Amino acid sequence: MNKLKDRIIAVLQKVFELEQIDENASQQTIEKWDSLAHLNLIVALEEEFDISFEPEEIAEMISVQMIINFIDNHLK
Amino acid sequence: MRLSIHYFVFRNTTIERFFQNISATFSGYEDISVVNEQAERYVWFYLSPVAENTLIAGKIRYYADLARMAVEKTPPDRMFIAFTMMDIYSVQSTVSDRTVVSAICEYNAALYALEAVHANVKVIDITRFLNNYKTEDLIDWRYYFISQMGLNPRLSGAFGEWFESRIRAIEMKRKKCLVLDLDNTLWGGVLGEDGISGVALGGDYSGKAFLLFQQQILELSREGVILAVCSKNNIEDVRKMWSEHPDTVLREEHFAALRINWHSKADNIREMAEELNIGLDSFVFLDDNPSERELVKRFLPAVAVPDFPAQAYMLPVFFKQTVEQYFSIYALTGEDKTKTEQYKANAQRANAQRSFTDMDEYLRWLEMELTIADVSEFTLARAAQMTQKTNQFNLTTRRYDDAGLRSKLASGSRIFTLSVCDKFGDSGITGLCIVDLAEETALIDSLLLSCRILGKHIEDAFFNYILNQLKKQDIQTVKALYVPTAKNMQVKDFYDRQGFQKITGDDDCTVYTMDRSLHDFEVKPYFKILEI
Repeated sequence: MNKLKDRIIAVLQKVFELEQIDENASQQTIEKWDSLAHLNLIVALEEEFDISFEPEEIAEMISVQMIINFIDNHLK
Repeated sequence: MRLSIHYFVFRNTTIERFFQNISATFSGYEDISVVNEQAERYVWFYLSPVAENTLIAGKIRYYADLARMAVEKTPPDRMFIAFTMMDIYSVQSTVSDRTVVSAICEYNAALYALEAVHANVKVIDITRFLNNYKTEDLIDWRYYFISQMGLNPRLSGAFGEWFESRIRAIEMKRKKCLVLDLDNTLWGGVLGEDGISGVALGGDYSGKAFLLFQQQILELSREGVILAVCSKNNIEDVRKMWSEHPDTVLREEHFAALRINWHSKADNIREMAEELNIGLDSFVFLDDNPSERELVKRFLPAVAVPDFPAQAYMLPVFFKQTVEQYFSIYALTGEDKTKTEQYKANAQRANAQRSFTDMDEYLRWLEMELTIADVSEFTLARAAQMTQKTNQFNLTTRRYDDAGLRSKLASGSRIFTLSVCDKFGDSGITGLCIVDLAEETALIDSLLLSCRILGKHIEDAFFNYILNQLKKQDIQTVKALYVPTAKNMQVKDFYDRQGFQKITGDDDCTVYTMDRSLHDFEVKPYFKILEI
């Protein structure tokens, strides 16, 4: 689980070009997380984990916690 | 890509992701009412719309009108890059229905018509990129419906690289010289072991593949790429191959330089760079042997060394990739087409030089004619190309495209071109000087000469002639700049030698001045100057 979290945070750091990202971070707390960056993030996560999200999931994946939950579900 | 250039992209879908590697701002969807006037370049990137069939054709025609208006609204001195359209998604219930196809054809024809009328418009054929993918991979419908992305976001990385290579082609940045190995590169087998009748060239596979490869390389050289050979072989064997093999296409006369010996290929290429007067970063080296490629990569990191295919049947793909990556150019100039001839004539000049003891005697004997003219419609593209490609004899290394030079002219600058003709041939346009004029002061914005004509005091004659012209124009003061780069050390003292006074100078730029009311310069008697 922690390994998964680290991989996800690494993707976020790369997409948002930030050195530090907290596991409680969300669209509210990261200024660069606008709608375009959100799509770039989803594409990057899909590539990293070789999975494909449903549009409904994409709309909800707006915090680190939610992202971890959805990806965890996909990988189960 | 130079980050300093700012682009403004006209678009009809969400495509920001595709232009992430350049600095860009974007129009609204299908919106041409607001144009970023600060942008240095404009991009027209409209994708075929997704709608019911009856609407698509009408919408595409409307897009063609928008493109025309957008060109009118943007400054004519800035590059306007327009992508053609391709049918990404349309449903054809009637097989003979050509509504959408013809609308797209008309749209593309409209873009080419704009290009024909407006010098700043350059059209890029998007099918050259999209045809690399399956139709169903062009759109990811999830992203289309979530955020109106007209292209699959996964294509953005490859698109960025492709777009950069097209921009380089438009900017006329290409490599200059292709260095070729022989055995298992231009023919199959080893000449020294298999003999002329044993190597594979022409006939059946694999000779057929090598034959096509040679034909393609010859065509490339006709388009201005200089060819050279670097091979571990006996020169007698190779000459015999060239003169006796019935299917050889490339022969000795097609190569500007030969290094057929047993020395290190890195040393050989370094020597050829000096002989041809071309920077190492303008070389591409093809060799089937991975250890030779590794050696050249290690010792000459500036040389481009693509991976050569292990199978001869992969040569067509390899050739296409190599050309598109290193040698593509938007349009050819007259000088490109005779380049190998010019470089060979240069080598002959270098040989002739050795038998004269007095340099002046040699220069007289060359019967040089310098043609100096103001830049014209016919020479503008070549002039822009020179600013892009000249590195060594270049005082400020300022790069211009067609549009940049046009705006210089519009603001009153004079642009002089120089071409040189001597006993051995015509160099074409090989010198350029851009002079900004403000009342009684002139500023030498750019002064550059192709390396091919150096070593004959041509630079002095060209520059003195220009100074005399400026005096005739009642210019009182001439200012000049030297901006050092990694490659232009040889002109560090150029203005000192011309009698200019240094005003200020630091590591980034030295500023010179000269009082132009003093005297006329004498041009050496062995130059015949033709004015146009």
